[in-house]
Amino acid sequence: MKMKLYASVAAVALGTVAQADGHLAGQQITVAGPWLSPEAEIVAEIFSIFEEQTGASVSYVGSDSFEQQIMIDAESGSAPNVAVFPQPGLAADMARRGFLTPLADDTADWIRENYAAGQSWVDLGTYADENGEDQLFGMFFRVDLKSLVWYSPENFEDAGYEIPETMEELIALSDQIVADGDTPWCIGLGSGAATGWPATDWVEDMMLRTQPPEVYDAWVSNELAFDSEEVVGAIEQFGLFARNDDYVAGGAGAVATTDFRDSPRGLFDSPPQCYMHRQASFIPAFFPEGTEIGEDVDFFYFPAYAEQDLGAPVLGAGTLFAITNPTEGAQELIEFLRSPGAHEVWMSKGGFLTPHTGVDPEAFIDDTSRRLNDVLLNATTFRFDASDLMPGAVGAGSFWTGMVDYVGGADAAEVAARIQASWQAIR
Amino acid sequence: MDNIAGRTSALNWIVQISVVALVALWLFPTVGLLVSSFRTADQISGSGWWQSLTASEQNLTLRSGSAAEQELRDGVYIVEGNLFGTVSDADISVWGVTSRAIDSYLPGDTADLGNGETITVQADGTYVWSGTEELSGRGQRVFATATTPPEFTLENYETVLVSGNRTDSMTRAFFNTLTVTIPATIIPIVIAAFAAYALAWMDFPGRALLIAAVVGLLVVPLQLALIPLLRLHLEIGIGKGYLGTWLAHTGFGLPLAIYLLRNYMVGLPRDIIENARVDGATDFQIFTKIILPLSFPALASFAIFQFLWTWNDLLVAKVFLIDATGQTTVMTAQIVELLGTRGGNWEILATAAFVSIAVPLLVFFAMQRYLVRGLLAGSVK
Repeated sequence: MKMKLYASVAAVALGTVAQADGHLAGQQITVAGPWLSPEAEIVAEIFSIFEEQTGASVSYVGSDSFEQQIMIDAESGSAPNVAVFPQPGLAADMARRGFLTPLADDTADWIRENYAAGQSWVDLGTYADENGEDQLFGMFFRVDLKSLVWYSPENFEDAGYEIPETMEELIALSDQIVADGDTPWCIGLGSGAATGWPATDWVEDMMLRTQPPEVYDAWVSNELAFDSEEVVGAIEQFGLFARNDDYVAGGAGAVATTDFRDSPRGLFDSPPQCYMHRQASFIPAFFPEGTEIGEDVDFFYFPAYAEQDLGAPVLGAGTLFAITNPTEGAQELIEFLRSPGAHEVWMSKGGFLTPHTGVDPEAFIDDTSRRLNDVLLNATTFRFDASDLMPGAVGAGSFWTGMVDYVGGADAAEVAARIQASWQAIR
Repeated sequence: MDNIAGRTSALNWIVQISVVALVALWLFPTVGLLVSSFRTADQISGSGWWQSLTASEQNLTLRSGSAAEQELRDGVYIVEGNLFGTVSDADISVWGVTSRAIDSYLPGDTADLGNGETITVQADGTYVWSGTEELSGRGQRVFATATTPPEFTLENYETVLVSGNRTDSMTRAFFNTLTVTIPATIIPIVIAAFAAYALAWMDFPGRALLIAAVVGLLVVPLQLALIPLLRLHLEIGIGKGYLGTWLAHTGFGLPLAIYLLRNYMVGLPRDIIENARVDGATDFQIFTKIILPLSFPALASFAIFQFLWTWNDLLVAKVFLIDATGQTTVMTAQIVELLGTRGGNWEILATAAFVSIAVPLLVFFAMQRYLVRGLLAGSVK
């Protein structure tokens, strides 16, 4: 490591991009992942630093059907060296079938020391291998924050609204907006074949705001049945917003049919169709062209109930790197992701949050990203997107469709019972 | 006496009207896609493509120049300019200064912003923002209801075809697709033509069974064979690459090709072939000198099919060709990639679709007169 740093300093001093060390010269490392443009170009830029340091050549290929593609490749024995998983569930599945290689021994210790809430990231990347032994397979890189509400500060100013600090205030503000003759929320669940997923985020957020984190964990592992009182309660909390014709732009009927990519545009309409939009940290990519984050639009933390005393729970998701075809270069590439530089390249492009505590916050593209990352670092409870952790047939199947049924008017308990039945069916 | 020359029967009219209706039905989405490919992402999500063809009234959120541009004139701080940036054909009918009241003022009115600040907006978008004290902050928001003329852009085509590092990948993808498509069209035709001749005109035991087997293979879905076939390729050392893709396309295309060509060849006049035999021609001579030239329409029609199918193919390419080096991406995969990580770039998709349609259209129009003839002669006797 020291050698490499020394050499890269020398290379910078010489002003060249030639091999800094070159001990991997001639090695080809292939990486597959779910990122397409524009993320794919940023990833390529990050890898180019690694290429300069080691002389290896790294090629990244993104696919919109990554989940299927990686399975086909692994099954047929033509897997890339490194795979970027958007969901831990899929990685766990592949680890169990023996398609993943454990990461270097010291990785777990490093993550514990250098990531905020390190142990939870180690746990999320640890799966049973084909012999049933738990090993660390995945290293998280890039995190999305979900518990956010986006709003237009100027519209708030025009109407004289204050940013709510608690869930009670948020509901009071929503009622206030309705009383003023406007619509508080834009909610869209449409996402092609994945229609319904934005609702799962709502329910998960509500779960964290009505139940302690242990109950959430039990729900994820199905120790707590999906049709239990606690979960149905969280679904109904979501219904409080999404099934209220006065609360949602276009009425509750429009929720399931509005595309999640189009739905935030209501914030920017004239007159505004809605005042608030709950969505993850990646959503600015879908704001109209020329929107200035922090000026035209800003976010506040989706607050928790003051009376529940559950602290400040944060829901997130993230992508993890795992080795699907081991080579010396693949292990070194994962090791390279520990360097703050790898994180800072993407931080400077926006749309990137990291639990890495060693990075320079100055590298963030704007104040908003810095504040977003603070939400992540200051969370009293961090929980990973439950639907990403559940088995695919539930988390990317019946949970999605069930939520569409629910906003369409179906009974919460009935929907939850159906999702629980689908979970039992795959056991 | 309805159908005498010079008059058209009622039935005929119905047929023609339905044809026109069907053609319109088919073309409608395509026209929409074409129009969309000339619009920006915000326009696409803002209004339907049919509205973009005529001048339309829209509610716009505009912003004046920022306070940094102010000048001091006779003791008044002033920012001047046009809300539309440059001079435009837009026509403002009403406007307002808060999101709560977007139609409070008529063009030429002056709005009081408080603190001694005012703003005046004219119908063409020119404004004067003035204040007795020094102005501060960002530009003043103006909500205008304006009639704007249709607006189209070539930007999307520029993005897809010539801009940035996409150019390389799009060009490369184009040639990769050609590399897949041309051999994957020619190889099955050559093999199928030989096989079809044998099945149609050479007597050997089990011929009927063989034909039945080929017809039976038509119903086998190719998805069934994807992973086993890829494993086989990896085991025998072909791996992922062009050769494997050609073989896969050949295999998947052969049943239809043999069936189509054999049916066509069976329909050729027996006399010609028997005469040639009597004159001492070998089977190979009969095939090359008589059968092949006569079967040209059937060959051409199958070539079109196979070409279009391999050109538009994503599944086979993804499984057998595209590996993690990224050097063998085909057009279809590239277009999907242009959609972006979360599939939001519709304007790029529409544009890329038209770019990728170009070659198949060319092939189709060059060979379409054979298509119908070949199909009819092959199937209907």
